[in-house]
Amino acid sequence: MVLGWWHFSANGLMPAPGRVTVALAELSASSQLWDNILTSLMLTIKAMLYAIIITLLISWLSVIPFFKSLAQVMVKCRYLTLAGLIFVFTLLTQNGATLKLWLLIAGIVPFFVTSFLSVIVNIHQQEYDLCKTLGYNNWRTLHEVIIVGKADKVLEIIQQNFAIAWLMITMVEGVSMSEGGIGTLLIKYNKYNDLTKVLALQIVIFLLGLLFDYLLSVTRLWLFPYIRKTK
Amino acid sequence: MTEYTRKQQLLHADNVCLSYGHKPVLHNINFSIRNIVRPGVQQGQVVSLLGRSGIGKTQLFRLLAGLQQPTSGSITINGNKQVQAGDMGVVFQHYYLFEWKTIQQSLYMAAHQNPAIKGNEKAAVEKWAADFDITEALPCYPHQLSGGQRQRASIIQQLLKGSSFLLFDEPFSGLDVCVLDKVVNMLLQVSVSDELKTLIIVSHDIETSVAISDTVFILGKEPGEPGATIKKEIDLIERDLAWQKDIRRQKAFIDTLEEIKATL
Repeated sequence: MVLGWWHFSANGLMPAPGRVTVALAELSASSQLWDNILTSLMLTIKAMLYAIIITLLISWLSVIPFFKSLAQVMVKCRYLTLAGLIFVFTLLTQNGATLKLWLLIAGIVPFFVTSFLSVIVNIHQQEYDLCKTLGYNNWRTLHEVIIVGKADKVLEIIQQNFAIAWLMITMVEGVSMSEGGIGTLLIKYNKYNDLTKVLALQIVIFLLGLLFDYLLSVTRLWLFPYIRKTK
Repeated sequence: MTEYTRKQQLLHADNVCLSYGHKPVLHNINFSIRNIVRPGVQQGQVVSLLGRSGIGKTQLFRLLAGLQQPTSGSITINGNKQVQAGDMGVVFQHYYLFEWKTIQQSLYMAAHQNPAIKGNEKAAVEKWAADFDITEALPCYPHQLSGGQRQRASIIQQLLKGSSFLLFDEPFSGLDVCVLDKVVNMLLQVSVSDELKTLIIVSHDIETSVAISDTVFILGKEPGEPGATIKKEIDLIERDLAWQKDIRRQKAFIDTLEEIKATL
């Protein structure tokens, strides 16, 4: 239906699906697209890994009162815009690649922390009580209930928030374009009003997002079989 | 009349009070559980704490389990030891188990906490699983089990931990008649597994609790008193109402139920 609507509503400004498909085929045939996708994926995966490590440290430690307030501040940082932090991060980092990486991490971490804190807050009291009745100390209880017990939730959070990271990549790559990336490519084609290529790239970005969503979902089921709720 | 004697004190609650802010929940809770000795029988103790919904049974349950400290007073076990979390086996309402562990892993977790079976954890897990007929459920996760298997796994987990005391929070809540019978038989089986095994059942199901108990404590509110207290202790052995299979048909049993209802 969407394709039909798109086809019939296309005019001089809006390219028809056929033209976008041709542009997509042209892009796919060039190494330029694949090189840039690889650059963006490497940056996103690297940023996600760093972000998850920082998130887990902050969230696990949030059970200690001092770190709880730090985690709560981090949650509020969702309302900061990355565009306003570019100058600060430029001063703090040494080159374009590091700047992009840390901008992306700064963008992702508040969302990760928000999601994981919500998981921790909603842990049922009986989970802690069962550990205590088994004679576990506080550290062992933290390990069993939060670290091991909620490990599947970490992947779920990555899956839910991958879209946010993917959304930010185009903006972040625009800050320093020398390393390339799919965001750089998109900005370039936008600059020259090459709408067919822009839409073709949007389709690539969309499909890559869906692919990663699927891969993360399969990985989660494989690593944590207990989340399958079938008898 | 069955021959028996009450020997040493196993658990003692001494003037236990619990308040939340200025709101008293429990007030001067005093009771003792003694070792019941029957000649020729390995007989544990089955004690019921009965009370209306919302009277403070769950709070008393948490105090007995050591999961919470009383505002004043003390609960001691085996002489003078102040009860702490981990001293008692606790079977929670709805038979909670870790959803991310297989039953085998959950049972090992408990077995590793029991110094008496150190090095023989595997054999102990297999023995209890066979005794309670859940061997085939060992590699499963809790959500894959039936309600009955879940109950048995939860009880075995606490048995493997090796504590003499087992606390049950509303073990009969929401069970159909067939499963209820199985649970009752299971509790009776546990109660005769060791001379010092002491089952404390916190419940509002009067009939089932009384049918399997030797002693009943009634938690309720005295007029003018702040918070709930133990209003009455009923020695079911003295009334010849303990350790009998068809007890529910006896007039004395029905009269006791009426007496308890009137006290609540």
